[in-house]
Amino acid sequence: MRGITKRFPGVVANEQVDFEALEGEIHALLGENGAGKSTLSNILTGLYRPDEGEILVRGNPVAFHSPRDAIEAGIGMVHQHFRLAASFTVAENLVLGHRDAADRGFLLEPRVIQGRVAELARRYRMPVDPGARVWQLSVGEQQRVEILKALYRGARILILDEPTSLLTPQESKNLFETLRLMVAEGRTVIFISHKLEEVMAVSTRVTVLRQGKLIGTVLTKETNPRQLARMMVGRDVVFTQKKEAVAQTERDVVLDLRGVTALSDLGTLALQKVDLTVHAGEIVGIAGVAGNGQRELAEVITGMRRLTSGTVSIAGRAMRSGDPLAAIQQSVSHVPEDRMGTGVAPSLSIADNLVLKSYRRAPISPQGWLRAGRIRANAVDLMRRFNISAPGPQTPTRLLSGGNVQKVLLARELSSRPKVLVAASPTRGLDVAATDAVRGLLLEAAARGVAILLISEDLDEILALADRIAVLYGGRIMGVVERQKAVVEELGLMMAGAA
Amino acid sequence: MKKPVRLAATMLAAAVLGACGTTNSTTSTSQPFKAAWIYVGTAGDHGWTQAHDDGRKLVEQQLGTGVKTTFKENVPEGPQVEQVVEDLVRDGNKIIFATSFGFQDAMANEAAKHPDVKFEQATGFKTASNLAEYFGAAEDADYLTGMALGAASKKGKIGFVAPFPIPEVIREINAVALGAQTTHPGATVQVVWTNTWFDPTKEKQAAQSLLSRGVDAIGQGQDSPATGEAAKAVGVKWSGYDSDQSNVAPDIWLTGTVYHWGPYYVKRVKEAMNGSWKTGSYYGNIGDGMIDIAPFGQSVQQSVRDQINAKKEALKSGSFYEFTGPLKDQSGAVKIAAGTKMTLAQILSMDWFVQGVIGSPKGG
Amino acid sequence: MIRIERRLRESRWLVVAVPIGSLIGAVILSSIILLATGHDPLATWQRLLERGFFSEGAFSATLVQATPLLLTGLAAAAAFRMQTWNIGAEGQLYLGAVGASGIAIALQSQSAALVIPAMVLAGLVTGAAWAAIPGALRAFFRTNEIITSLMLNYVGGLLITYLIFDSHSYWRELSTFTSRVFPQGKYLSPSAAWPSLQIAGIGVPFGFFIGMFAAAGLWMLYRSTRFGFEARVIGDSRSAAHYAGIRTRRKIVAVMALSGAFAGLGGASEIGDFRHVLDPRGLQQASFGYGGIVVAALARLNPFAVIVVALLLGGLSNGGFSLQGADFPAGLVGTLQGLILFCALAGELLVHYKIRLGRPAGVSHKPADAARVGAA
Repeated sequence: MRGITKRFPGVVANEQVDFEALEGEIHALLGENGAGKSTLSNILTGLYRPDEGEILVRGNPVAFHSPRDAIEAGIGMVHQHFRLAASFTVAENLVLGHRDAADRGFLLEPRVIQGRVAELARRYRMPVDPGARVWQLSVGEQQRVEILKALYRGARILILDEPTSLLTPQESKNLFETLRLMVAEGRTVIFISHKLEEVMAVSTRVTVLRQGKLIGTVLTKETNPRQLARMMVGRDVVFTQKKEAVAQTERDVVLDLRGVTALSDLGTLALQKVDLTVHAGEIVGIAGVAGNGQRELAEVITGMRRLTSGTVSIAGRAMRSGDPLAAIQQSVSHVPEDRMGTGVAPSLSIADNLVLKSYRRAPISPQGWLRAGRIRANAVDLMRRFNISAPGPQTPTRLLSGGNVQKVLLARELSSRPKVLVAASPTRGLDVAATDAVRGLLLEAAARGVAILLISEDLDEILALADRIAVLYGGRIMGVVERQKAVVEELGLMMAGAA
Repeated sequence: MKKPVRLAATMLAAAVLGACGTTNSTTSTSQPFKAAWIYVGTAGDHGWTQAHDDGRKLVEQQLGTGVKTTFKENVPEGPQVEQVVEDLVRDGNKIIFATSFGFQDAMANEAAKHPDVKFEQATGFKTASNLAEYFGAAEDADYLTGMALGAASKKGKIGFVAPFPIPEVIREINAVALGAQTTHPGATVQVVWTNTWFDPTKEKQAAQSLLSRGVDAIGQGQDSPATGEAAKAVGVKWSGYDSDQSNVAPDIWLTGTVYHWGPYYVKRVKEAMNGSWKTGSYYGNIGDGMIDIAPFGQSVQQSVRDQINAKKEALKSGSFYEFTGPLKDQSGAVKIAAGTKMTLAQILSMDWFVQGVIGSPKGG
Repeated sequence: MIRIERRLRESRWLVVAVPIGSLIGAVILSSIILLATGHDPLATWQRLLERGFFSEGAFSATLVQATPLLLTGLAAAAAFRMQTWNIGAEGQLYLGAVGASGIAIALQSQSAALVIPAMVLAGLVTGAAWAAIPGALRAFFRTNEIITSLMLNYVGGLLITYLIFDSHSYWRELSTFTSRVFPQGKYLSPSAAWPSLQIAGIGVPFGFFIGMFAAAGLWMLYRSTRFGFEARVIGDSRSAAHYAGIRTRRKIVAVMALSGAFAGLGGASEIGDFRHVLDPRGLQQASFGYGGIVVAALARLNPFAVIVVALLLGGLSNGGFSLQGADFPAGLVGTLQGLILFCALAGELLVHYKIRLGRPAGVSHKPADAARVGAA
């Protein structure tokens, strides 16, 4: 790819980017959120057309008008969010929308296809039952189906967009194994990620993007995580915010979980007998790979999910399970992982979102009638105090940047004088300045005596902010350590379920 | 050049001034007499409404430039009818024919409001000094149609797509069954109710359900030819209703009950013009030509044609009347003793099926 | 290439200019069609406006059509505002008519002061109950309310047909000879006839009067009450509502019932204001319930705009019948009415979106363009 430029209204997503991948290499594409990785891969797979620049495949210039063109050129992509038809079998998904010799006209020949799929799966050590229906499969298995689909369609170049974000460490290891087998055959893998460790572990070369621009391409064996991080962020990564230690024994227990068990949306056990306490003014960090019960943990504490057994107590009072209103009334605040859509109502104004939880009481609605003046005054006040930049209180929240949305959320959740704050991935996707501001707000709240449960995949963040760190794996607490005594390697082992 | 200029002027005038404008309708001395019709369906429906519109055209044809006719179609029953009548009166119509039972209340209200306008209501019972009522005894022709269906059926299993379980329709079905049993002794008529006068989709579905139950001749009391379309697909002989619908499916067409409203309309409009119009309830029949059967289809054998024509003459002359005892109901009990003729009141409120009809006269 | 983008801000002058522009557009387009079919556009437009709105008695007649459309339009607006898709105003209107006529028959010897409020109440309650069925199915069993409410329209239609044509029900007149010949409902006593309010020579049906208050009430409800706030949150994001502790299930049932109550009131008004008898054929032919969806959509779900749009459509309907004639087929009338609505919707689009003409992306390879990169 030479000189690729892609503009969207108001942004340049890719600017004069050159990128090349060789046969038989795993080429990592590294960058922060919004660095232009996804745009570049979408151009490569024919989803977008570049405003400028050209694409060459094996030396021949190509122009992709649709994803089909890219597939025909041997480029396959595995998206972060899978594109499978859940009620179809694995084999059916592989041939969906694809024409080849196994089709006899209109009819599919299930046995022929299933045989081929099984053979592919064996070759690349990706065990999957070709006759199984997709909805029955785990996330890892579904990813294998996506990869098989690309291979089945003859992909010589395979693009994987953040493939490990939903996988367990073991599944990630298996995936890397598969990728190595594929490049050994002369295929090319483009591996998109923002995680330094896995890039170091799996790739041959690394290309780093920042703010849509190419920063450079380096050989993995000649670099180190620190250098990559600097290329990615543009400076040495040092967050100044650091939590002052508190002596927890002097403080009251505010949040107390005893034997908490809960199911996931799919009905599987998501939390198993979780015991956890958070003291006033304390930040407890929950570390772990995504999908190990973090979301469910946040939801049981905030009433959004029912417990199957156990209790959640706030300041000594047991909370009604599965009732968000009860949690709100017991002064539990919640910064959910899904900000836009759950944490705020996107089309409603900033002012309305700032009273999303207080609208049902005086002074906002004495006798059931909303007081427009008070809603507005509340918004003006909070926007000033929390430094929310927006055209005005009536601006629809969806028009704000991620950092400002998060500030709206925190303004609402912290201004209600909570006893407990559950913050799930509060800085994910935010730029450095916004991350800094959000962390500052969390520390301020803790200093005021709020008990904070910080759920984050970013271990650095937890190490910077938390007094104690609990590791969640497979719905269980693998251990709780104090920050001063925490050893990263040990945490890593616990996160992989090996402790 | 003239047209674009006119167009621009039109746009301006309509957009800016249109709201305030009023036209002075030029009253000429030799203005034609205005007559109007209100239809519940569309004028080109190949059925009930078309039969009336053919009548309207006959008026234009026979009375020439002395008359100006117009019509309003697709008028929903209810308050809208009053608006439509008001509008017609304002346009100077002096006689207004309404052709659906559901128009009756509105017609009665409007008749009271406009004593100088004559109102005519097809199918109804309310009359006033300027509101008359008219209808036709379809059962005479239904009997003859039934004879054609009976002759066409090999198994004696006839289907009938019927609108509403009301006396008017029940007596028509009875007439069809009695006619069919003369040409095919023991023939049955299986009824499906659609609960609509005009809905081609529903009618077709009803016909298909009958055909799938093995009827080998099919008739209808519906206002669209959809039954014929369903029958055409499986090659089953079919009789129509309202108008000559043979062009829908000439190969399977037998005949059908048709209304000739034209002569009545011509007569009434003439009377209104010369001032001799009087109110009344007119019940036309096969004798005066308001009711007839449509021309036979090619598949109807000459012997059957002769038999039907003979019966038609007998009906016309009054030497034969189809609702004469002995008549048995569905259970086989004698309802009308041998030799007794049913009275008009009895047939107008008939709510039972004769023997051989399969279905409930209460619907369902 | 043409691209359509959402405007971030809706400018004030557009709000005024666009409706005028779309009216002019409608006039131009329809004039072309009229000229092509050999009609005089000026006379046609004049007649449409005159007979639909301005001639003597025309506005009263328009109100007759506008009254049910106003109430079903409010029904649709009430539900759609919460992204709850009640397509069942049609059936809810039938049920409201059943309820109102039933209570009026039961109370036929009572005074108007008792009968009329009872009819209003019966219409509200039966309509609400009928709408609560798809509401509860949606809330507790996650069935799609579009499908269930639509299906209940057919059930409602069959029910009223059954009451008059297929059964000896309480609603059916059976005492006279003519009623045995022609099935019909029982006519209500004069005390059940709703009053028409004379305002400046225009007869305003009682139902329209209630409808105007209902519109104001709905506006207040959504704008300034807890109930309305919760409905707005649910309408925007169900998961945000759950997160905020809003009882979404109850709310869905309540909003569906509210919506059904408006439609049921429309049915009661059809009986009390206009028909004075349960008339299954006429009610089904009118399809006011479906018309209400169009009204609400054109009104952008704004209750006050619903009043205006209902009047507009009512007038267009009456004016349209006036245009019809032997040489002016119903199809052409429908085309004109469609064009007017189409222009109104297109104008609506222009207020919210801007249309950009530009080259398709990916065609330009000129180096001149590269110089501009980075400015954004």
